[in-house]
Amino acid sequence: MIAATFNLMSGEVLAAESVPNDGVGSTSLDPIWAPIEEIIIGGLASLIVFVMLYKFAWPAISKGMKDRTARIQNELDASAASRTKAEADAAGIRTSLGDVDGERSRLFAEADAQAASLLEEGRLRLTKEIEELEAKAAADIAAAAGRGADDLRVDIAHFSSRAIESSVIATLDSATQQELIESFISRIGSGQGVTS
Amino acid sequence: MSDAQIHGYARALFEIARADGTLDEVEDELFRFARSYESSEELRNTLSDEQIPAEKRQAIIEDLLGGKATSTTTQLVSMVIGSGKARDLPAIVDVLVHRASSAKQLDVAEVRTAVPLTSDQQARLKAALENASGKTLNLKAVVDPSVVGGVVAMVGDDVFDDTVRTRIDQLKSRL
Repeated sequence: MIAATFNLMSGEVLAAESVPNDGVGSTSLDPIWAPIEEIIIGGLASLIVFVMLYKFAWPAISKGMKDRTARIQNELDASAASRTKAEADAAGIRTSLGDVDGERSRLFAEADAQAASLLEEGRLRLTKEIEELEAKAAADIAAAAGRGADDLRVDIAHFSSRAIESSVIATLDSATQQELIESFISRIGSGQGVTS
Repeated sequence: MSDAQIHGYARALFEIARADGTLDEVEDELFRFARSYESSEELRNTLSDEQIPAEKRQAIIEDLLGGKATSTTTQLVSMVIGSGKARDLPAIVDVLVHRASSAKQLDVAEVRTAVPLTSDQQARLKAALENASGKTLNLKAVVDPSVVGGVVAMVGDDVFDDTVRTRIDQLKSRL
């Protein structure tokens, strides 16, 4: 394919030898160099273009480059500041994490202390309540026993009283009644009054 | 009923009995009837029941006292019952008895026994109580089965108590 292309170009160059000069432009027959006039004019034009570019475009380009450099520097500075701030924040966070750990440890320690205190208080309270309940139970048992004994004594006294009253009334015949009356009269008469 | 009314009724009964010349008998009979009235719940309920017509209650009095007490006593009790003052009869009679005794310069001695006292016992007991209290007494004997046995005598604020009931109560207290 390269060979085919080269042959085509060579054919075109060879064909150009037959192109007539029409008097309007110049035609070079050199396959490498352009006609000298064209090189001079082109060179001058290029020089003018370069001068114009240097005169008018370069300050703007230079300013743009400087601005870009400054902007990049600012961005770098901002990045550095952001990094510094980020590092400070990271340090703060690490410090805070350290504080959190410390606070957590303190809270755990405090909670453990409170739990231990509560446990001890609960143990003491329960011990005291158990002792009180035992004492109360003992007192209740003693009171119940006392009540039982008291009830028994009351019952005995009640039945004894009824038995005595029945027995006394049963033995109070007419002679005894008269004897009691005469005894009363005698004692009152002798100044041995039964006064209540 | 107020004390003034009780004293008013007692004064009226006293004057009627004195005017009738039967004060001693009437006083004694009223006293006995008042004690019977106090000791009988059925009699109290019947004579103080205002649902029962006054005439019927007075008829009960006639049945109870007719022939056993003087007509003056029967009429006085009937009057008190008929006027709806049955509940105050004992208080009226007590005031009457004290009034009668005061009129005779006597103090009332109320004696309670489980069995009736003979006249001789009453006389000896009256003498003994007068000797013990230093007062001239109008003895009022009451048969009260609740004393069980023995005698209890009340002369004013003094109480001479030698009853079986009291001894039993004391024994009960000690038990």
